[in-house]
Amino acid sequence: MNAPASLLAIENLTVRFGGLVAVDHVSFEVKPGSIHALIGPNGAGKTTVFNCISRFYQPATGALRFGEHDLLTKPRHRLAELGVARTFQNLELFGELSVFENVLIGTHSQARRTGWLDLFRAGNRPGEHRDRIEHALEQTGIADVRHVKARALDFGRQKMLELARALAVRPTLLLLDEPAAGLRNREIDALDAMLVKLCRTDGLTIVLVEHVMQLVMSISDWVTVLNFGTKIAEGTPAAVQANEQVIDAYLGREQADV
Amino acid sequence: MKRATLAVVILLALFALPMVASGYILYLANLLMVFVVLSLGLNILIGETGQFGLAHAAFYGIGIYTAVLLNNATGAPVLVTLLAGASLAALIGLVLGAISLRMRDIYLALSTFAFGEAVRWVFASWTPVTGGPNGLRINPSNLFGFKLVTDRDAYLLVLVVTLAFLLLTIQITRSRLGSAFRAVRESEIAAAAMGVNVRGVKIAAFALSAFYAGAAGGLFTTFSSFIHPESLGFMTTIMVLTMIVVGGLGSVVGAVGGALILGLFSELLRQLLSFQEIIYGAILMLCMMYAPRGLMGLLERKQAGR
Repeated sequence: MNAPASLLAIENLTVRFGGLVAVDHVSFEVKPGSIHALIGPNGAGKTTVFNCISRFYQPATGALRFGEHDLLTKPRHRLAELGVARTFQNLELFGELSVFENVLIGTHSQARRTGWLDLFRAGNRPGEHRDRIEHALEQTGIADVRHVKARALDFGRQKMLELARALAVRPTLLLLDEPAAGLRNREIDALDAMLVKLCRTDGLTIVLVEHVMQLVMSISDWVTVLNFGTKIAEGTPAAVQANEQVIDAYLGREQADV
Repeated sequence: MKRATLAVVILLALFALPMVASGYILYLANLLMVFVVLSLGLNILIGETGQFGLAHAAFYGIGIYTAVLLNNATGAPVLVTLLAGASLAALIGLVLGAISLRMRDIYLALSTFAFGEAVRWVFASWTPVTGGPNGLRINPSNLFGFKLVTDRDAYLLVLVVTLAFLLLTIQITRSRLGSAFRAVRESEIAAAAMGVNVRGVKIAAFALSAFYAGAAGGLFTTFSSFIHPESLGFMTTIMVLTMIVVGGLGSVVGAVGGALILGLFSELLRQLLSFQEIIYGAILMLCMMYAPRGLMGLLERKQAGR
């Protein structure tokens, strides 16, 4: 058996909203164990692609394969169980619930793996889930605020909570929608190290949409560039940064001319 | 430790109550416990899951009529009639939940309100079965061959069943299913991304909530001798809603406290039916203005040092 070359394959993805074509025949592949960035100007269709992968949008045409699964045949709540977790650009936390319970809900899909009776057991009992939750809290540095309501956290920690909750899913594929947006430089450096560690040590595959180029260019193995719903380039960070089309559409001249 | 002691004292007092209390007090206790089960049920749907289903009185009525008809026709044991009423209510709740999936917020509230009124209309109009506007006599329930004639006879049964529902509620609240309910309330999108089957969870909340209401109806039949459709309308749903809002949405202790306080109110004002509505309205408004998170919210603030 050959190992498949890609963990996630997107083929000819097209999404229409009424008359607007938001994503137009986009194809790309994500290698297992890699960090893959999706960049491009606002409105290029990056988040739309994410929402297709996580099954919030139904594409007009195209195919989505994750491992040996055809994602388009799966309802959105089955993805966590398959090992796909995501974060949200505009934060979708369970605001009135504690940090701990937010992360606990990340382990929800494992109820199916451990049997339905598990649904009726107390979620905070010691055991496998508890270890997983503690680990996610430690990894993201929010273990000390576990009893605080998500709504009451500062923005940086809310971002980390989004990540912790996604990690509790035990994903093989982690989809991060602008994880660095709004973070301070110091926080971005910490995020940088955290993502690299998740990928190199824990073997996760990460796809991220991001505008913070400092982060994208330092950690990505591969970059796909979208503009007006189409793919205009892809390659290593260095190759993409040197690509004329990408410079014109997104990166800008001064930055690249340095 | 202090809480456990308090719980034991309350339990002993509840079980000792029939030795000292008059028949009227026991009637009142029975009625309050029915309200407790009703508000625990509505709290699961509205407080925990955030789904504004307003057909609670209809499920209560389905529980009552099912238990009464089964009891009057067959004399089946009370636990059977109670379970039958609760199960039928849950089944219909499941169907209503499935139909209502596409609606939310005010549309969900309105359509479930309409469903509740339609059910009440059936109670009032299906004369051959429900007695229609004349109401229906309830024969004494049968508990292992004993006839439950008075409030005193029914009290222990009502108490044990109510405590069972209280324990069940606490367990559900602490369980992963309880977390899933709250996740759906807080963000359906994030809940789905975390693997929560949002549709399934909503339907489960509807069915579970209706199960409680149906069981409350079954309990009602053990100490009452008469049922009239007039008492199964929207006013009753609003009363239970007031109970959980006053207690604090999403709190088990709040649901119990709200049921006891407003249940007492409603009994004290029984002679003044029209005043009752004004007073519920006033309580709801005051609560919204000064204690939007109910009595539990006030308690929490006090504990946190204001």
